[in-house]
Amino acid sequence: MNRKKRALLYRLGAVALLIVISAAMLWVGRGHTVYFDNKTLEYEGQSYPSFYRMTVKDGDATVAKLAKRERGMADWMGQHFEMQVEVLTEKGAEPVVYPIKLELPYGMDGIVVNLPGMVAGLPQQAWVSEFIPSEPQGAQEEELPPTEEDLVPTDI
Amino acid sequence: MKKQSQASGAGAVARFLRQNSVPLMFIIICAVLIPISGFSAGYLINEIVTRMGRNIFLILSLLIPITAGMGLNFGMTLGAMAGEIALILVSDWQIWGIPGIVLAMIVSIPISVGLGLLCGKILNMAKGREMVTSYITSFFIGGVYMLVVLYMMGPIIPIAHSSIKLPRGYGIRNTVSLLSMRQSLDNLLAIRVLGVKIPTLTFLIIGLMCLGIVWFGKTKLGQDMRAVGQDIQVARDAGIDVERTRLISIIISTVLAGFGMIIYLQNMGNLSTYSSHTQIGMFCIAALLVGGASVEKASIGNVFLGVILFHLMFIVAPQAGAKITGDSMIGEYFRVFASYGVITIALIMYETRKRKAKLMAGRQLQLAQSEDVK
Repeated sequence: MNRKKRALLYRLGAVALLIVISAAMLWVGRGHTVYFDNKTLEYEGQSYPSFYRMTVKDGDATVAKLAKRERGMADWMGQHFEMQVEVLTEKGAEPVVYPIKLELPYGMDGIVVNLPGMVAGLPQQAWVSEFIPSEPQGAQEEELPPTEEDLVPTDI
Repeated sequence: MKKQSQASGAGAVARFLRQNSVPLMFIIICAVLIPISGFSAGYLINEIVTRMGRNIFLILSLLIPITAGMGLNFGMTLGAMAGEIALILVSDWQIWGIPGIVLAMIVSIPISVGLGLLCGKILNMAKGREMVTSYITSFFIGGVYMLVVLYMMGPIIPIAHSSIKLPRGYGIRNTVSLLSMRQSLDNLLAIRVLGVKIPTLTFLIIGLMCLGIVWFGKTKLGQDMRAVGQDIQVARDAGIDVERTRLISIIISTVLAGFGMIIYLQNMGNLSTYSSHTQIGMFCIAALLVGGASVEKASIGNVFLGVILFHLMFIVAPQAGAKITGDSMIGEYFRVFASYGVITIALIMYETRKRKAKLMAGRQLQLAQSEDVK
């Protein structure tokens, strides 16, 4: 193999390596915001009521403490989501721990997890939905393109 | 004998003072301003360490073109723009943390290479006037950057998130939040020593970069660059492809500047879309010159010393100005004046030295010719 061919091969190899690293970064670094709802879920004509208290934990760290009809949230990087939820059916009751295991859909930035539905063992499509942020109400938010005055150096 | 050694000692001191006049001047300025500012040593060390992690990589990108005799690469702004475009895209794709930074660096490479290629080609057409040419090229590409970011992002380059897009539906907002990757690099493996946060990973990357520059200097390409930097004609006669070597040096510098800008912005935590890059070249060059570098010679040591002295002045000058005159703006004016002033002094010194060398060479030739006639 002559030098030119070898150099070309090295270059192609480097490009391929960068593409592989990029793909890996796109996968492992995808950020999602996961919202936890402790709200009553209606599914196929049946009602799954909210619990007295739910505590979402990531290992030992508490992520959200939810009373009835409350929502909590957590940021998560990657596609495989795994946390635990501690459920208290009534005041003074013994807490029951359930694992939350979920493959997050790549295309969704915000994912809402209905915890009562998940605890009831319903299929995933019943308790997972996309979070769609509401458009700002009232006056349209104003931000104009930059003018010369905006082009002032910032701190270094 | 004693007199002779005294004279040579005095000469050495004078030479040292002449060669290090800029860093010494800044050491004196800082020594005067620090007590006036009233900042504690802990605060100053913390700030300096943070700013070292933030800026050193960017300034290191200036070293290779200096070796290749292309002077101070004002065209590093092009790399900074490439880094910013990459960060905007990665923010829109919602890639967070270290993976986001790595991906931004990879995305910036083709943009930086393209811009570096363009800049290098232009500089090859303007040999001997590289600095002013690269300075103006950065303005030209700045206009193209505005076109891309203000009009093409949205309708042509897909941008999904309204938090990044202007409310009118196209173009990027004045500020893009990089909260999802803010200080990810600095915080990973960070340690605290006597209350000072040391961004170990960032310093590790800077250390590797320094080793890379030293290693590069010993390679065939590095040696070629040095030869081209010393004398283009001699290098050409020795069989070196001068244009190609110069082009590669600018491409490497632009790519590294793109990486440096990403490291810089992840530390800041937000991106001023239309102004982050505008002054970066100027401040990096000023810091390098404050460290004792010149248009023809710069080392890694100059980078470190320059960052420490220049940023020390940046931190203390406003407070000292406020204490002395009651108006902090005086300090602000002073630091801007000093950064532009030091570039001016360096350019004047470079031109004076060049003319003096030319004059000396002319005189020597005249002397040799007159001796031949005799």
